[in-house]
Amino acid sequence: MHIVFFSTSDVFDAEERLKQANVQCSIVPTPVTDKAYCGVCISTEDKSALILLSDMEGKVVE
Amino acid sequence: MIYFDNAATTKQKPQEVYDAFLHYVQDIGVSPGRGSYQLGIEASRMLYQTRKVVSEYFGLIRNSGVIFTKNSTEAINLFFRGFLCEGNHVVITCYEHNAVLRPLQTMKEEGIIDFSIISRDDLLLSPIEICDKYFRDNTVLLVNTLASNLTGRIIYNSELIKEAKRRGVQSFVDSSQGAGKIQINMSEGQIDYLAFTGHKDLMALPGVGGLCCLEKPKWKPLLQGGTGVLGDSYTNPKVFPEGYEAGTLNMPAIWSLHASLTKMLDCRNLIYQKEQELKDYMMKKLSEDERIVLYDSEFDRIGTFGINLCGIKSNDLVKYLDENEICVRGGIHCAILAHEALGTVKDGVVRVSLGLFNTKEEIDTFSNILKGCK
Repeated sequence: MHIVFFSTSDVFDAEERLKQANVQCSIVPTPVTDKAYCGVCISTEDKSALILLSDMEGKVVE
Repeated sequence: MIYFDNAATTKQKPQEVYDAFLHYVQDIGVSPGRGSYQLGIEASRMLYQTRKVVSEYFGLIRNSGVIFTKNSTEAINLFFRGFLCEGNHVVITCYEHNAVLRPLQTMKEEGIIDFSIISRDDLLLSPIEICDKYFRDNTVLLVNTLASNLTGRIIYNSELIKEAKRRGVQSFVDSSQGAGKIQINMSEGQIDYLAFTGHKDLMALPGVGGLCCLEKPKWKPLLQGGTGVLGDSYTNPKVFPEGYEAGTLNMPAIWSLHASLTKMLDCRNLIYQKEQELKDYMMKKLSEDERIVLYDSEFDRIGTFGINLCGIKSNDLVKYLDENEICVRGGIHCAILAHEALGTVKDGVVRVSLGLFNTKEEIDTFSNILKGCK
């Protein structure tokens, strides 16, 4: 899944949180259908990411 | 050559700053937020890491309360033009730099705002007395420079800021002078907004400054243009902080700021100790020559000194010191309000400003050369 954010700064904040929690993730280009969001996003298959990032303003794109 | 103009720009930087600059331009070399390839992502990650270290340095709880600009002047203009509304009143001190005065004066002449200036004498009043005297019903902002760029006097008054807060007035600190020499914590000090510049006490390269915000602002940005996010919108997106950072950021300078602040956070106490030693030593040396007039000598200060030598014009003293390979700055120092408060507009002042890499031996040489000035 992709987790997309409005702010690029939030993407790296999210990456840092997930890595600190040992959640496998990478930063990849945002799917083109979601051009309302910034150019890069989090890619992860670990559902626990959603809990770790639940206080952030983002959206999940499968 | 002895460089005593650190209040203008710190000439010598920590080696880590030069290394960071070279690394960025040689190994990264691309802009953050502009490409989703790995190198562009790494640039964006470095930008984020710099926001974090700036946040930590100035005591912001949130990581993302930092807007990067090219210097503190742009940050101040961004803030005033965004935050202030028609009919607002602002209170500033008589030690504010022209970077504060001129945008406010322009907005006043445009009929948007009005402002009052706390006099030098009134800075000695209690916070309650200052607020009673200067605040109006429409006062929305207190502007308090951290330290005078002319005399080095510390102007920042945490109790005044807290009293303003109690009265519903927000605060703005211009930390251009003293940010690397005085520990300041926005969260603890209840400072709503703070402008900084990288190339002075923070010892980064020129070309980076910024605005730190305790809470995310909702007012309009200063510049419209490319932000790297929501590119299909006809105006800047309402996204913080990118919506306030239109145009390509000076990433080599920003990464140099990351290096300098990381170093300063690691060595903060050593830096303060060195600053204190050099400051005390300069005070001692200046007090040995009865011809020297030292402005604001009675107040707590950073290592910046505004002096004159009895019987010698300030411009002649600057020239004399330059001939002896000592760099100091004369004139008005973009601080007309402070010169008016000190009564030095006509004759000017010679500013001697120390930096982390100066030495007591340099101060000895300066003192001896000053004694030879007839």
